[in-house]
Parts: sequence; C-alpha cells; structure tokens
Amino acid sequence: MPGRVKKRSPLKAPDRPFIALGLEGSANKIGAGIIKHDPDGSTHVLSNVRHTYITPPGEGFQPRHTALHHREWALTVINDALKKAAVSMHHIDCICFTKGPGMGAPLVSVALVARTLSLLYDKPLVGVNHCVGHIEMGRQVTGAHNPVVLYVSGGNTQVIAYSQQCYRIFGETLDIAVGNCLDRFARVINLSNDPSPGYNIEQEAKKGKRLLPLPYATKGMDISLSGILTSIEAYTTDKRFRPNGPTAEDGDDVITPQDLCFSLQETVFAMLVEITERAMAHIGSKEVLVVGGVGCNERLQEMMGVMASERGGHVFAMDERFCIDNGIMIAQAGLLSFRMGFETPLAKSTCTQRFRTDQVHVTWRA
Amino acid sequence: MATQDVSPTLKLLEKSEKISQGAEAKIYRAQLHPTPFTSESNSDGENVLLKYRFHKQYRHPTLDASLTKSRVAGEARAIIKCLRSGVNVPGIRMVDAAEGVLGIEWIEGKSVRFLLGGGAEDEGDIVEDADAAKDEDEVTEVKEEDLLKEYGVSADVVMEMIGTELAKMHQADIVHGDLTTSNMMLRHPASPKGLQLVLIDFGLAYISTLIEDKAVDIYVLERAFSSTHPASEGLFAGVLKAYEKKMGKDWAAILRRLEDVRLRGRKRSMVG
Repeated sequence: MPGRVKKRSPLKAPDRPFIALGLEGSANKIGAGIIKHDPDGSTHVLSNVRHTYITPPGEGFQPRHTALHHREWALTVINDALKKAAVSMHHIDCICFTKGPGMGAPLVSVALVARTLSLLYDKPLVGVNHCVGHIEMGRQVTGAHNPVVLYVSGGNTQVIAYSQQCYRIFGETLDIAVGNCLDRFARVINLSNDPSPGYNIEQEAKKGKRLLPLPYATKGMDISLSGILTSIEAYTTDKRFRPNGPTAEDGDDVITPQDLCFSLQETVFAMLVEITERAMAHIGSKEVLVVGGVGCNERLQEMMGVMASERGGHVFAMDERFCIDNGIMIAQAGLLSFRMGFETPLAKSTCTQRFRTDQVHVTWRA
Repeated sequence: MATQDVSPTLKLLEKSEKISQGAEAKIYRAQLHPTPFTSESNSDGENVLLKYRFHKQYRHPTLDASLTKSRVAGEARAIIKCLRSGVNVPGIRMVDAAEGVLGIEWIEGKSVRFLLGGGAEDEGDIVEDADAAKDEDEVTEVKEEDLLKEYGVSADVVMEMIGTELAKMHQADIVHGDLTTSNMMLRHPASPKGLQLVLIDFGLAYISTLIEDKAVDIYVLERAFSSTHPASEGLFAGVLKAYEKKMGKDWAAILRRLEDVRLRGRKRSMVG
C-alpha cells in the first residue's frame, strides 16, 4: 500500500470530567440522556430515559400531537434522567439538542426546552445532527473502528462511510425510509404500535412461511421502497388473502398477514444487506455497524451477520436502548464536538427538517 | 454433454484461480481452451475471467435463485448488445445462468479507480489492523500521476474516454445501473488491442430508451466520483463534456433531467 499514513485523532484527552445532557425529540420519542467523558478516555452512560408516543393501531403519529406529547413529557423525562444519573443541572457542561433532521413540530418543542435550560442555568448549547448522533453512539457502544454504517430508521435509510472529516452517504433510499415502509404496512394489517410497529412485524414474520414475489429495487447503491409497499398492500386485496389466518376449507394457496410480513422483511432486508455489501466492497472495509430503530430487528442483524462473515468481516449491532432514538446519542455526539470547541449560540439554535448527514464537519475524527 | 454429479461449470471453477471477491460475485481467472478438462497441459490457452455469483446465505433461497439467474442472463444480454453497438466491453466466453457463472474476456489493465488514486477494491485484506489504536483513523494518500504514467495518458484524457464510452452505450439504449470508477478499466497500451477504456460489470444493466434512466445513470457516476475521489471533483466535468459532444442533440434533454435528479435526494436543504 503506497503512502498509507496514520493520522492522530484531533480530539485531546479531557483535562477534567465532562458531562453533557442530550435531548432528542425528532420523531415520536422524547429522550434525555446524560453522558460523562473521563480524563482517562473512558465514557460512561449515566442515564438514558425515553418516553414514546404510541398511537392506536392503524394510525401514524401526527406532528402536532407528537409535539404536544413531547411538551407534556419533557420535564418528567429530564428530571428522571438527572435523578438516575445523580447529577444536578449545575454539574453539566453543555446541553445538546437535536437540530435535525426530523419532524418540525416535535423538534421545535424539544429545542425550546433546551434553550430555556441553557438560559436558566447559563450552560452552552450544542446543536447535533440526529444521524451523526446515531453513528457516534454506535461507534462508542460497539467499539467499531471505522465501519460502514447502515442507518435504518423510520425517517432515514442510508449507507454511510467516513472519509476526510465527513460521513459520506454512499447509498440511500430514493423515496421512503425502510422503517416508514414497515410501519405503514403494519397500519394496513392493523398491527399494534406498542412497543413499535416494526417490532410487531418482526414477531409476525417469524410465523410466516411463504415468500411472495415482490419487486426487488436496488439501483446501484440506492434502493427504492415505495413500489414494494404498494405491491405488498395489493396482496391484502388479493382473493387468496385471509386476514385472520386460513379457514378449514382453504387449501394451501392462501396468503396470511404473517406471510406478508415475512416476505416484506426478507425482500427489503435482502436489498439493504446488498447495498451495504456493495459499499463494503467499494471501500474495502470489513466492519458493518447497524444503527437506527430498524437496526434492532434481529432478522436484519442475522442477515447482516451472515453477509459479513461471508466476506470475512463482522457486524456490530446494538439493542433497542441505543438503536431506537435516544437522548444519550445526542449527548455523545454533542459532547465530542463541544470538546473540539463547538457551541451553538442562542441566536442560531434553530431546528431544520432537512439536515443531511454529510453536511456535518466531523472535527473530532482524523 | 454428459453431466456427472457436479456440473462441468463448477468443475471448471474448482480448477480456476480465485482472484477477488466483489460485492456479489467471486472472480476467477480460468482457461477455457484447449479444454479445461484435460489435465495440466493447458497453460497457454486464452485467459478468461469467470464471474461466479455464489449462493448468498443471507438471502431466501427462492429469492436468491431467481435474482442470480436473471442477473447472469441480463448481464450477458447487455454485454452482447454493447458489443454489437461498438461500445468497449469485454467479450462473452461462456454463460451458465443456472449455476450463476459468466465467463468473459480477460482484460489486461487496471481499474480507473485505482489509477486515479482511489485505492483498489481488493486490498481490503491488508487494511485490517487489529491493533489500530482506537482514536486513529487511517488515510490513504497515493500520488495519482505516477499510476497513470505507465498508460501514457493524463487524467483529463481518461475522463474524455469515459464520457465518450458512456455516450456510445446510452445511444444504444443500454443503462449500466452501477457506474463507478471501479467498473471501468483501462486496457494496457501494450496489449494487442492497445489502450482502451473498457466498461465492465453489467450486473445491474438494463435496456431503456428513457431519458430519466440515462440521467440517473450519469448521476450515480457523479456521486461515485465525489465519494471515491473527493479531492478531484473537477474531473467529472471532463466526463460530462465528452459525453455532451458524443451525444449531440440528445444532450440537452438529458442535462435538463440530470438537474432534476440532482435535487431528488432526501433532506437536502432547498429554497421554496
């Protein structure tokens, strides 16, 4: 390898312990987390509290109602986080909040809380990109060195790799996010939203047997999911479809909701694994990190694991505490940039629904 | 042909030398002639490259079988159409869609990605360094001029060749579907056919007359340039210029669509 050089990380070891509070509310979860960076380089999660806005089956969450939920729960969640961490607001070095991307109204509600706390206790604010939060927390929890990141959630589907102080997007969805695709299908077949529609799809899929043909839409490193959603929805009006399982007089040729969940997962996840593999081959990496809400799906983790081992690499995955949106990841990413001297002045502490992963200058990595 | 327990194609694979593993296939170097089944004495036959789409364990077997079959057949079809239209692509030597094997002409040369200093795909093995300290990231720096010198061309000329080749392909209504600099090779000037830019890997190619598909094809390459060769984004302009020249009157419509496609990604900041 000609001219391969190792660069030192620009992030210096802290001269004292740093504590950050992270506030997250870009979708239907409000989360508060407190993280501590010690001078010896270790990182401690002091607390990680979350409350989810759950809608009745067949309904999604609407921005206005979600924002209302966040406003009602913000103080409870933050107090709870402080209590569990056994720190007071005065010990905290900075308050990190999600700047974007996400739903406007919930983002604004949480940012307002962050601004108020910042003024009350005279603490600096740090605006954080939600996606970068996921990546940094994933790297911290799993210890992955320089992985290809598959970020899959209700609002995002991206294959990301780090290069030259930027998380570059190698592939992404061209239309809807994979979590959105699963959630919307869960609504069609009336699955519960508790604890999450994706979890219930996963459980139903375990009982499915029949693989129904669906479109398989990978386009280079990108994928398209909206057509698959339309096709799988069309199966629910097929005359072979039995919403309540097969009856006694049915033959073999019936379609159950379980079969549909199974087919949807197998097809969509195969596409995700394929584009991740493409990115791995393209940049020559052997590590994969799966983050985001859909990342805690065990079938996806299993498929990714098989792919990685076929390539002689391995997969890093996490459980729901860190996969699903949480406050601690915002605290982690925020504290990293705070230690590099980054602060968001009050006048610039706005939110944005559109904030791409590759717009962030990753100062803390070489 | 008499079929024994193992198909002849798989037997051939066993005797071939595996040279790398791409995203979806293993690549072998083999020799078809005089005959692969006689023992040893075939060392001076023609080299062929075998692309073996092996069974992907993570994928459901039914899904995997149908994808593999349609991709091998589709790739062969696209390559043949390119050959007929005079696009520089490797020649077809054998096709076995059921087993997932495609045999194509061996090209003596290097990928454009490697020559532009974007590293080589199959060097991943060397990169792994288990003891790499936690907070250190590795960065590769290669002097690009040195690599291209052997081929006697400048990067700008290579860009021009890419643009021309792409235009020829699109004029034949073939859409590559996975344009990256790794999927283009420069044939070594010392080889019998001389210096040539060759498009490879038609695994995702399809036939389309739509301006939309061609514009997306160009866009995919543009994105690949900026992610693989971030320091040399100006180069891509050279590709477009040559493409424009070759496409002639069709260019205006494609450019208009390309500008639309660029706006399409998710969560971009936009006005209005």
